[in-house]
Amino acid sequence: MCGIDRGNILKQMINAVFILIFWPLNLLAQGSAVTSVEPGVQIWNELKGEKLEALRLRGDAARGEEAFVVCQGCHKQGATGSASGVYPRLAGQHATVLIEQMADIRSGKRMNQKMAPFADEHVLTIQEITDIAAYLQALPIPPNIGTGPGDALARGNELYAKDCATCHGKSGEGKADKFFPLVAGQHFKYLLREVRFIRDGQRGNANPDMVIVIKGYRDEDLEAVADYMSRLVAP
Amino acid sequence: MRRYGLWVRAAALLGILLSGPALSGDAEKAKNIVTEVCSACHGMDGNSTVPTFPKLAGRHPEYLVRELKQFVSGYRKSEIMTPIATALDPDDFKALGEYFGAQKPSSNQVTDQAAAAIGRKLYLDGDEQKGLPSCAGCHSSDGVGRSRFPRLAGQHKEYLIEQMYNFRNDVRNYGAARFMREVTKRMSDDEIKSVAEFLSGL
Repeated sequence: MCGIDRGNILKQMINAVFILIFWPLNLLAQGSAVTSVEPGVQIWNELKGEKLEALRLRGDAARGEEAFVVCQGCHKQGATGSASGVYPRLAGQHATVLIEQMADIRSGKRMNQKMAPFADEHVLTIQEITDIAAYLQALPIPPNIGTGPGDALARGNELYAKDCATCHGKSGEGKADKFFPLVAGQHFKYLLREVRFIRDGQRGNANPDMVIVIKGYRDEDLEAVADYMSRLVAP
Repeated sequence: MRRYGLWVRAAALLGILLSGPALSGDAEKAKNIVTEVCSACHGMDGNSTVPTFPKLAGRHPEYLVRELKQFVSGYRKSEIMTPIATALDPDDFKALGEYFGAQKPSSNQVTDQAAAAIGRKLYLDGDEQKGLPSCAGCHSSDGVGRSRFPRLAGQHKEYLIEQMYNFRNDVRNYGAARFMREVTKRMSDDEIKSVAEFLSGL
């Protein structure tokens, strides 16, 4: 009995060490795949600096809950955000995406003057960024999300299936290892603001591939697809 | 000594070790320090009567220890508190924090109900358009705070206003106080007064 337990513990320890060593390498490999673009072209989501440091750390959800207290003043308890769209829902978002966005806001790459001073190095350590990401990823996605007018959902569905589903997933679940965010059940007004920023070059850290895809979108197209996404339910 | 068995002696020794530094002796010592040093300004029960001196009653012990350390290190600047905190033995900070934390905090009379109502809304909801976070996010909706964030409920409004200006004017600018610097920069003078009015009455 004791021997089996020890064997199991040993196995788990070996596994843990393997994951610790190879998970960051894995990320790096994916990162280089994503960032292999022509020289001179802006590199999307380059894994370096604080972002890489945070991705390499192990997140602790319990510590993250305590660290997240400073974020609650805007993102609310339970990270529900607000239906007004000013603050996004963060509950259930992929940890990789959260780390990417926090690091980009800190470095100024993602242009967000409202949040930047509240997330700088005086307020949050890099470890806390990783802990917060671990905490938020594990939170249940709340109901009562702000949705749009609902008058162009067929158009939204059509656009989403054609242009968005490949990266953000059929149900809007995103892809954690590619840093593609979960969009299902995000507040409509927040989605609309951000897709506009991305189309118009005001987000700062937008994926250039996405900018190309939605460049020709009219405002009503963006509205239709944002409304559709806000109503998706992630599996 | 022979009358007590080995186990009794071992248990007694273990008891002393486990009870740690916060023995009743420390509490007694803390009370003496409060009597001689702190009470003149902060009151024996931590409810100061002079509005520019903060109430310490019911504040989280960890928070009080942290601020005492910040006065000593000079991060938190105060002509009054820096020499006093420096003269204290840092080993007594914990017991002092626990002494004041255990005192019952008093409240104040709200003098401007209209301002308090505006302050209440700002405190609980912030202002999304300005990017002003709600204060309740950190200090909790009833203003009792947490170990990292001070209790604000029932504090003197004069003291609260002074501290908010200290954050805004970079007087209190160490570490996470930078968060409060940004918060207070996004508040108008009237909003600062209103929030202070609301909190003092809690």
